[in-house]
Amino acid sequence: MVKNITIFTTNTCGYCSMVKKYLGAKGMSYEEVNLDEFPQRQAEALELSGALTVPVTVVTKQDETKEVIVGYNLAKLAPAVA
Amino acid sequence: MTKSTPKHDVIVIGAGPAALTAAIYTTREDIETLIFERGVVGGLAAVTDKIDNYPGFPDGVEGLKLSDDLRKQAERFGAVIELGEVTAIIDEGKYKKLETTSGDMHAKAVLIATGSDYKKINAPGEEEFYGRGVHYCATCDGAFYRDKKLVVVGGGNSAVQEAIFLTRFASHIDLLVRSTIKASDVLQKELQDYAKKGKITVHLGTQTKEIIGKDKFVTKVAGYDTAKKKDVDFVVDGVFVFVGLEPNSQFIKDTKIELDEIGFVKTDENLQTAITGVFACGDIRSGATMQIASAAGEGATAALKIREYLEGRPHAPQN
Repeated sequence: MVKNITIFTTNTCGYCSMVKKYLGAKGMSYEEVNLDEFPQRQAEALELSGALTVPVTVVTKQDETKEVIVGYNLAKLAPAVA
Repeated sequence: MTKSTPKHDVIVIGAGPAALTAAIYTTREDIETLIFERGVVGGLAAVTDKIDNYPGFPDGVEGLKLSDDLRKQAERFGAVIELGEVTAIIDEGKYKKLETTSGDMHAKAVLIATGSDYKKINAPGEEEFYGRGVHYCATCDGAFYRDKKLVVVGGGNSAVQEAIFLTRFASHIDLLVRSTIKASDVLQKELQDYAKKGKITVHLGTQTKEIIGKDKFVTKVAGYDTAKKKDVDFVVDGVFVFVGLEPNSQFIKDTKIELDEIGFVKTDENLQTAITGVFACGDIRSGATMQIASAAGEGATAALKIREYLEGRPHAPQN
């Protein structure tokens, strides 16, 4: 079971819009961290994903385990939020 | 045909400008249309910072906005977008069977509008440092390079456009061009302005040999200056690659649909492929001009040809 979802995004990232659209279509709420507005949180995104890219979606489960999905990857995102 | 599988009038594969324009036309004709998109709605247009040559926008338009508006317009007339992937097309006569990540489906007509993706340069280090210094999407990843040095590889419209976009973040950009700049005159003039300001340095005749890193991240690009016949190194934090396009046609390689030597889909004058009832348009079509305006035009043409096909009419000139 999903406890919460955080998405790291930027203003111009088309793939970020797709992650938000997908979660929105599933009726799922999420916290968005816009790295253009909060560049100081880039290091956090990097530490979680190991990559200098967005979107980074962090799915926290009820048991506090985290699943990190880098990019817009439906094959990983769909089961992570199921 | 399995009776329980969903049946559609038209399934459009891809959701770029060609696909969305086709869907606007089919749905306005009351032809039920399902669009399948495995990546981003809007395709490469959606990840392009600014589009300056699409008609009707005197000041240019952000790629993401154009894509979103095309999507809204198609959805307004009833097009449905499914986020998923088509993995095979099987000709079953009147209906075409599509194997998808959402299960099998059938459609009377299929439009392939899967477009293309940016090519790789196949240099050592490119795969190893992907996402950690090697990137193909400036609008996605540029923000990670505030006050950093970058290399952009390529000399076409995309490379120049994205290099200019990346100056918003990077302190300096080295543009490595294998031969000569092939971008439009307007972009070349803009590039010269950035070169004069010292934001971009253009290196013509420079091959990208290797991407080198340390502690998991890119630190250097090794190049070769073909005019001076000597190696040249660029100490940078990241590399953005825009060296042309390759077709998204892997899923139809084992079908009757004919591909050209690069992998683009061959069609007849009605935009129909070698399978009757399966059409193709936009960047995926062999001979396409790889322009958003052309893709939209081809999408409209394909929709009208599909209408004729569904009505059982011979292809005729449009009034």
